[in-house]
Amino acid sequence: MTDSDLDRLRGYFHTGEIPVATPHCLEAETVAALAEGTLDAEARARALKHVATCLHCRGAVASVTAALADGPITHEIDVVEGRRRRGRPVLRVAVPLAAAATVLLLLWSPTNDTPGMHRGVGTQNRDVVPVPVGPIGAVANVHSLTWTRVIGSDRYRVTLFDARGGVLYEREVNDTTAALPDSVRLIPGQPYLWKVHARTGWDRWSASELVEFTIARGPPQ
Amino acid sequence: MAELQRGRIDAAWDLFLDRYRRLIFAAIRHYAQDYDDVMDVFARVCESLREADLKRLRTFIAQPTHTARFSTWLVTVVRNLTIDWFRHRDGRRRLSTVAAELPPLRRRIFEHVFLHKRSHVEAYELMRSADCVGLSFGQFLVEVSATYRAVGDGRRGRILRELGGPAPPIPDTDDASDTVSERREELEDALSALSPEERVAVELYVVEEMPAESVAKVVGWPNAKAVYNHVYRALAAMRTRLSTLDGAGRPTSGKT
Repeated sequence: MTDSDLDRLRGYFHTGEIPVATPHCLEAETVAALAEGTLDAEARARALKHVATCLHCRGAVASVTAALADGPITHEIDVVEGRRRRGRPVLRVAVPLAAAATVLLLLWSPTNDTPGMHRGVGTQNRDVVPVPVGPIGAVANVHSLTWTRVIGSDRYRVTLFDARGGVLYEREVNDTTAALPDSVRLIPGQPYLWKVHARTGWDRWSASELVEFTIARGPPQ
Repeated sequence: MAELQRGRIDAAWDLFLDRYRRLIFAAIRHYAQDYDDVMDVFARVCESLREADLKRLRTFIAQPTHTARFSTWLVTVVRNLTIDWFRHRDGRRRLSTVAAELPPLRRRIFEHVFLHKRSHVEAYELMRSADCVGLSFGQFLVEVSATYRAVGDGRRGRILRELGGPAPPIPDTDDASDTVSERREELEDALSALSPEERVAVELYVVEEMPAESVAKVVGWPNAKAVYNHVYRALAAMRTRLSTLDGAGRPTSGKT
């Protein structure tokens, strides 16, 4: 069949009618499942029976399928589902390297030469920079990261590093606590570092100092 | 999820938005490009998702099993809300600005088809009676096709294609509107002889111009080759069936 044959057929199909939703139309989840091909055979047969005669749902399936093939959407889905990290390729390499360098500098700096001590929390101006509250030092367990509120700040970005400067967790929140998800597995005895930035204006952030903590090993069995 | 289960709606919303904001924006930008439109639609999406203590999110989460991933479901919901926003709210006014750039005849077609959601036949009849347009239906369809192309190529093209459906090809005959209607009835008859899978595959591949790989995923066939086989076989069967009917849809053989 030639392109002009297909064009002619397309002309016959095209009614120019604007599709209207009915109470029998498919739920968003069914449209999504059709587009990603995850419906089981029985549910798919039921759904296709409707789509075969419904312009509205046919358009929705075609539209969502096209959206799922769109680069920026695919990228964001990969990010939220953990298959890809956010940021441009150069940054994906540069940021961990920079973080590692920063961590090493801080760990080896003369002000941090007392084992097991974190640098003075009270030395910062609590009004303009967030101050880490916990965890700091040796702790029994860690479920969240907590810091002080900064006046005028509506957003905080908290970052957790491993000892080599690798970013284990990063999140922006409105509150002064960030719950660690189960996917972040912390190993007893290993040192971890974290810091928080407070947004104080348009694209202006003030950073806390980097603090260290370790989860104490349990008593030997 | 955990925050929702604890009934901490605000915390759950913050976490949700924190994680999915970029995906929501990406989905909106797939359909709308103007900055103001994107921000207005984002506000509408947030308003809708927050309604009744995050009812949409809670309903999705409460289901014991899911047929689609949450992210795909979210893209679908955002798509629906975006299209609705353009259909029902400020979008109509903004879409009207597209019409201002068209020649008078195509502007009228745009208004009938895209804004007032009339079929081509309805638009033709209205324009012939009210606007005294002296075009044949075939000439009218040429103008309709040109209007689709003109508005579909612009920055708002994708959303306009969503609102107006796929662009019709330029007709190669000067058909009268009643002949076109009869052909569509014949086509509907021929389509009804196909299985639902074949019919959806034909419509998605031919009308919506979806890639064969994507069609295969929707109808549950193994690959693109299966789509080509099924679709071309179905089209051949339809052509045979159509060729056995005369213009009024009656069988050409066995007539008395």
